[in-house]
Amino acid sequence: MSNGNQASDMSEGSSGDEYAVSVPEGRGRDRDADGEASTIIESRDLSVWYNDEQALQSVSMEIPEKRVTAMVGPSGCGKSTYLRSINRMNDLIDAARVEGEMLFNGKNVYDDDVDPVALRRRIGMVFQQPNPFPKSIYDNVAYGLRLQDRTENLDEKVEEALRKAALWDEVKDQLDQSGLDLSGGQQQRLCIARAIAVDPEVVLMDEPASALDPVATSKIEDLIDEMAEEFTVIIVTHNMQQAARISDKTAVFLTGGELVEFDDTDKVFENPENDRVEDYITGKFG
Amino acid sequence: MSDTDEFGRVSRRVGQLFRGVLLASTLAGILTLAVLLVYVANDAFRPLTADPGWHLTFLLTFVLPTLGVGWWSYQRSYGTLTTGLLGIMLPTIAALYAGGLAALFIDVIPTLVWLSFVVAFAIPVGVVVALDRTERDIPFLAEITAVLAVTAGSLLFVPDLVQGLPTVPADWMVLVLTIGIPEALLLGRWTRGRWGRRAGLTTGAGIVVGSAVAGVLGTVTGVGAIPGVALALFAGVPTALYLSVVAIERPERRAGLLLPAVIVGGALVGELFVGALGFAGPESWVDWGFLTSTVQRGADPGAVGIYSGIVGTILLMFTVAAIAIPAGVGAAVYLEEYAPDTTVTRIIDVNISNLAGVPSVVYGLLGLGLFVRYGGAQTGTLLVGGATLALLVFPIVIISAREAIRAVPDSARQASYGMGATRWQTVKNVVLPRAFPGILTGTILALSRAIGETAPLLVIGAAQVFGVPDSWNSTVGAMPLQLYVWASTYASPAFYTTVLAAGIVVLLTAMLSMNSIAIYVRNHYEQR
Ligand SMILES: Nc1ncnc2c1ncn2[C@@H]1O[C@H](COP(=O)(O)OP(=O)(O)O)[C@@H](O)[C@H]1O
Ligand SMILES: [Mg+2]
Repeated sequence: MSNGNQASDMSEGSSGDEYAVSVPEGRGRDRDADGEASTIIESRDLSVWYNDEQALQSVSMEIPEKRVTAMVGPSGCGKSTYLRSINRMNDLIDAARVEGEMLFNGKNVYDDDVDPVALRRRIGMVFQQPNPFPKSIYDNVAYGLRLQDRTENLDEKVEEALRKAALWDEVKDQLDQSGLDLSGGQQQRLCIARAIAVDPEVVLMDEPASALDPVATSKIEDLIDEMAEEFTVIIVTHNMQQAARISDKTAVFLTGGELVEFDDTDKVFENPENDRVEDYITGKFG
Repeated sequence: MSDTDEFGRVSRRVGQLFRGVLLASTLAGILTLAVLLVYVANDAFRPLTADPGWHLTFLLTFVLPTLGVGWWSYQRSYGTLTTGLLGIMLPTIAALYAGGLAALFIDVIPTLVWLSFVVAFAIPVGVVVALDRTERDIPFLAEITAVLAVTAGSLLFVPDLVQGLPTVPADWMVLVLTIGIPEALLLGRWTRGRWGRRAGLTTGAGIVVGSAVAGVLGTVTGVGAIPGVALALFAGVPTALYLSVVAIERPERRAGLLLPAVIVGGALVGELFVGALGFAGPESWVDWGFLTSTVQRGADPGAVGIYSGIVGTILLMFTVAAIAIPAGVGAAVYLEEYAPDTTVTRIIDVNISNLAGVPSVVYGLLGLGLFVRYGGAQTGTLLVGGATLALLVFPIVIISAREAIRAVPDSARQASYGMGATRWQTVKNVVLPRAFPGILTGTILALSRAIGETAPLLVIGAAQVFGVPDSWNSTVGAMPLQLYVWASTYASPAFYTTVLAAGIVVLLTAMLSMNSIAIYVRNHYEQR
């Protein structure tokens, strides 16, 4: 273990070593950083309350298209809340209230004329616990397409999504078996296949690997790398090294729901502007 | 910490005493119930009136082999034993219900009327399917108008048309057509998904041909065409399917099927020996005559039967199920999935729980006031009785359905909403399929509560002498009401130890079979 002054809420089942980031060689993504990506999602002074408790404080940030953006920070700092406010999953929580703007392709998703259901068909989501439906592998992947009545060439679309999720070779002979019979890592890749089968523009991932073993985790990380060719990926993680390995941009939230640093991943890890961020990523506090 | 080697001892005297008291009260409860059941069973079946030779024969051919094979299966594996038990329970219970349905078609619903309404409902369903399949874009409003118009027109004209046909199909043909063919299609699809195309075709063809043969055989043998087809479709087919599933998919449990074989074989062989050797069986009060006689009073208990009560109970069950299940499940889905969490919904919550505990007499009074006083219905009819019992089980259905819906993990809903599903799509695709076994279990238990009720029926003015109903507006009785009448109005010492005991056995059999189905469904799905 590293130093003993880590706050208790940091120890989410991982050893402290993961947080004491000794920046690995060749970290960061190889994506050509020169071609500036356009912004696909932008929040302006976004605040979220649960009843009277504020979970996000005026967060403003511009998320680039077809890049991997990581969100890190101690637990309870509002990362999931931010993610859920992008595709309006917060609408399902009675206590949640949102203020400010969340622009998706320039349009505020909280405008009255935006249908949250239609929005979620363009912004897919992958959760912390793999949650395939108790249906066959095929039906899991076809779920979103069937919801939208996009059932022409269903077989090809299912195969394509499974290939993109690097799962096809493992399951192609058992498509009619239950998705729950797969291992945890395979289940999570099935959930990714389910999310990308409908060709969303953005894929939100809330700690997608935190319930998985290291081998499964590294497969998911490779997958995320490939996904950024086609989709915008926004990933919440509590694993600093993971953020450093896979993301182009990193946002650091600190307790209280404050966004304290948002920049290119290299910059955040090598030379953060905020001292508290430096302390946080080197594991001095949670 | 002291540094001696001894830890000392902690006293458990009070705990031991407590445990002893608990054990004693458990035993007392079980023992009382057992004594009561043995007492009633003794009166009903009168085993001591049989020749000792009869007992000895069946002990040798039936009891000992059954126990032996049961023990042997248990030794092989627990799964083997349950396979065997299910192999005998399934046909038995299914045959009971098939008999009930047959009674329905014989006494209450003429097969021709049944056929005419099936056709009248099939037409709009066909239209809906056709509309769903067509490529052309039809406006929603036009679609709904068309469907409603076809439904209304079909219900208005088709029944009369069918009933006025010059040639009328035989009873068994109607049943094969209206029940056999849909069952064949459904189960054929199921087996095709499981074992391939050929199995699907065989299943479908087997069901249609088998039930038709059963109809003809029933007519020839005198059992009757309707019971023949009903037994084939509702008992024969499920049993055959169960045997196939075990044979094909569970080779390691196949040995369990020896148990039902020994039970059936033992009973037949015993019967053969008893007949050949001339041993008289017990003069049981529960016999074919008791089950099929509609005589309800008189000095001779031998002539009295419970048939009207059985048919009444079955009809009431159908009515209650038709009213309480859609309404109760609908309310549960609304409260769990749609209603916002406000003070009003919380008040409703508490009140539903309270309603489930209201004494049944009160529901009887409610039914009387609601349907008879205000609604202007006649007292004691099938419709009023069914509606009143439906009120009684309504809160129970809601509560159990809500529990089943609440047990669906929230992550499943999140997954669906996250994919851009609407609320309705989520309820239909994710919530209801997962909650279904729980809802089924709860509603069966609720119905089994309803069939034991006497008080509400008395309060709504059910007649003390009742026949077999032949329409919604005929007076109806039920098994518990029959028992009550035998024990009070027509009480005579001759009845107490005879037909009353036999009636209790029949009622308990019906209730226990329903409860065991519910328990089976629950356990079966919990294992997944
Ligand atoms: N459904 C909810 N109801 C009330 N409070 C919530 C809810 N979800 C999250 N919160 C609160 O909002 C804050 C941020 O939570 P969350 O976004 O889940 O943080 P993170 O994902 O960074 O761990 C926490 O204080 C948490 O207690
Ligand atoms: Mg979180």
